[in-house]
Amino acid sequence: MATTTATLTLSSSDLTGDALSLSTTATLTKAGSATGLDQTSGVGRKTTTATTQYTLFDGSDYTADKAHKVYIKNTSTVLTEYVTVEMNSEAIGRLYAGDWMFFPWGANAATNDIKLAPSVATTLTVEYLIVSEV
Amino acid sequence: MATVRASLSLNSADVLTSPLTLSVVSNLTCDSGSLIRAKVKGTTEDANDLAIYIVNQCTDRAYLYIKNLETELENYIYIHNDTDTGLVAKIGGGEFAFIPVAVDKKYEVYATRVDSMIEYSVFGNDNSAAPYGGT
Repeated sequence: MATTTATLTLSSSDLTGDALSLSTTATLTKAGSATGLDQTSGVGRKTTTATTQYTLFDGSDYTADKAHKVYIKNTSTVLTEYVTVEMNSEAIGRLYAGDWMFFPWGANAATNDIKLAPSVATTLTVEYLIVSEV
Repeated sequence: MATVRASLSLNSADVLTSPLTLSVVSNLTCDSGSLIRAKVKGTTEDANDLAIYIVNQCTDRAYLYIKNLETELENYIYIHNDTDTGLVAKIGGGEFAFIPVAVDKKYEVYATRVDSMIEYSVFGNDNSAAPYGGT
């Protein structure tokens, strides 16, 4: 059994009059279980040179209705460059340069792919990681 | 303008043969935001869903932090937007997500259990033409 933890921290000294300081940690466990997720892609990178949408994680490659976790980061440093993230053709949002996201993914159906569409036809690299279960 | 610092650390000593220690930080420039704790009434996609982001509430870009405060993992919350088919995310009890928001869509939440508690926050550049609290 593996143990993987995810810690998210949000802080700001100037957004509100009272400083924002939030920290939350989750141990990444299998669906309906206290057993840790034990499969992972490792940290990978994918570089594109076209705006064509592509599949980063294919729903049919992962067991349906589980507690997979996904991390994606746009490593670009050009502020206007983004990738549009979709899941099962539902828009999640845009990751601009340096932005990242972390979310659970159920892979509920084979069509439940996570797809990315770069905004530029020049070199753009995303970093990704999935921690999953079979 | 204000800055919100968002950081994520993913750590594991044993999910790979070499330790996983991933850490990322973003400094998000924004002028508005909130941290809200609320109950979710709806248990299916309908008019009882809790709206957590309204269409064009923010301009350009926005970010959503959401945590399911339920203690049972099987008590899920479901995030969807109002125009696409499918889910943006399904979050188990105790789990959280940090995702970008498509600013021109409405995001709503329903849950496995009536009155599920959630905590959420949206950061971005406020659009005075579409205030969250309505006009």
